Amino acid sequence: MLKRFFFIIFVIGISMTLFAAGEKVWVSSSGATLKADKSASSKNVASLPIGMQLSVISSDGSWYQVSTQSGQKGWIYRGKISNNPPSNADSKKGQGNVLGGLLSSNIKSQYASDTSRSIRGLSPEAKEYAMKNGTPKDCQNALDEVLKLKVNPSEIETFLKTGKVGEYAE
Amino acid sequence: MQSKKFKMKRIFFLNLFIVLALFIASPLYAFDILEQLNIDPDRLEKAKKIFEGATNIMASSTDLDYSSEFAIGESLALEGFKRYGLPIRNQEFQRYVNLLGNSIARNSTRSDISYYFVVVDSSIYNAFSCPGGIIFISSALIKSMNDESELASVLAHEIAHISHKHALKSIKRAKFFEGVSKITAVTMKKDDGKSFQEMIGNLQTTLFDNGLDQNMEFEADASAMDLLYRTGYAPSGFIKVLEMLQAREAGSEKKGSWFSTHPPLYIRISKCQGKMSIFGNDNKLAKGSERFIEFKKKGNLM
Repeated sequence: MLKRFFFIIFVIGISMTLFAAGEKVWVSSSGATLKADKSASSKNVASLPIGMQLSVISSDGSWYQVSTQSGQKGWIYRGKISNNPPSNADSKKGQGNVLGGLLSSNIKSQYASDTSRSIRGLSPEAKEYAMKNGTPKDCQNALDEVLKLKVNPSEIETFLKTGKVGEYAE
Repeated sequence: MQSKKFKMKRIFFLNLFIVLALFIASPLYAFDILEQLNIDPDRLEKAKKIFEGATNIMASSTDLDYSSEFAIGESLALEGFKRYGLPIRNQEFQRYVNLLGNSIARNSTRSDISYYFVVVDSSIYNAFSCPGGIIFISSALIKSMNDESELASVLAHEIAHISHKHALKSIKRAKFFEGVSKITAVTMKKDDGKSFQEMIGNLQTTLFDNGLDQNMEFEADASAMDLLYRTGYAPSGFIKVLEMLQAREAGSEKKGSWFSTHPPLYIRISKCQGKMSIFGNDNKLAKGSERFIEFKKKGNLM
């Protein structure tokens, strides 16, 4: 009886440790970087892939001091992490994908950046649909233009910096 | 002797129950616990693979790949231009909206796809998202906004619909999908393309007229506020947009607008206000009114 009681306490104890809020966080944004200090202008320590698990050491305002599983330490902006592994994660241990199929919906998540699209414009499927439906040419051209407009990560950083948004806020 | 055997069985089933309960509650942590209990790593890895395989089988019966999802989105976008008008001709403003939208989208739960944003010349207060990542917003809606956090709010709401795959969930039982696992120009010709067109037609009715399920809208509202906060914009911007729409509702065209396709504004405002306490430092987050007004002037959207 006593043995059973201690076993239950042991399991609950381990669970409590693992569930403790703030103990473990996951990188949940693309383009996340580990900084040497709690400032966007400080040196980059490492680029962090989505789904990477981090351990929180401390926090200060919008910044968290964290360590990676390989032992790298640094600071990360609050908006780049979450308390749960992201559903589209491709983490080192594969943990981020364990429930991916159940938690996400009915369309398989894929890495889908289709760079060829900007060259060829509408997909053959959209062209087929437009032809079958007699979609006006100006609507087809409009969609073509929309799909050609690309912004790259460095432009996004500049946009956030000039707007003093997020980690660039003063 | 029999009593001891019974006791052992009880302990065994109790242990089994605890492990099963942990797997149901959180398989990730259950695996973590098993790792800490010195279970053979090879056997544990096999168990993980079996578990992942089982979840994939459960999910695959209704799976579509991204290119198929995007084909649906492109077809719907063509209908969007027909219904709501063509893009405004100011490329600088279109680029500004794409920079803002992508700044938010990279923090979404679906940051691995490309997002495209387009402002269409329309007097209807509206915004909608096509599966795969194409997001429309009307010029009327932008003209009525005061700062970047308000525009970011509407874009974040639409990004959330795409992240949660709300539109696709509403059509997954469409006749077109019978025997079709991937959409190609060839599968679209099935029964002379009628069932594909019927599916796009139903999706149009859902997105442009009837609206998605109300719970999907509430979910997108909540996710939008989280996304704003994570990106660094004031989540109160979303409430300001909803209040602005509420003030303009009486004199506005309802058909095909956010008024007719979304839950009543007073409910949405109330739910969003209830969530504000989570975001303690809202007044310290970006609103971006100067830049927004500057671009609005350049884009003739004042």
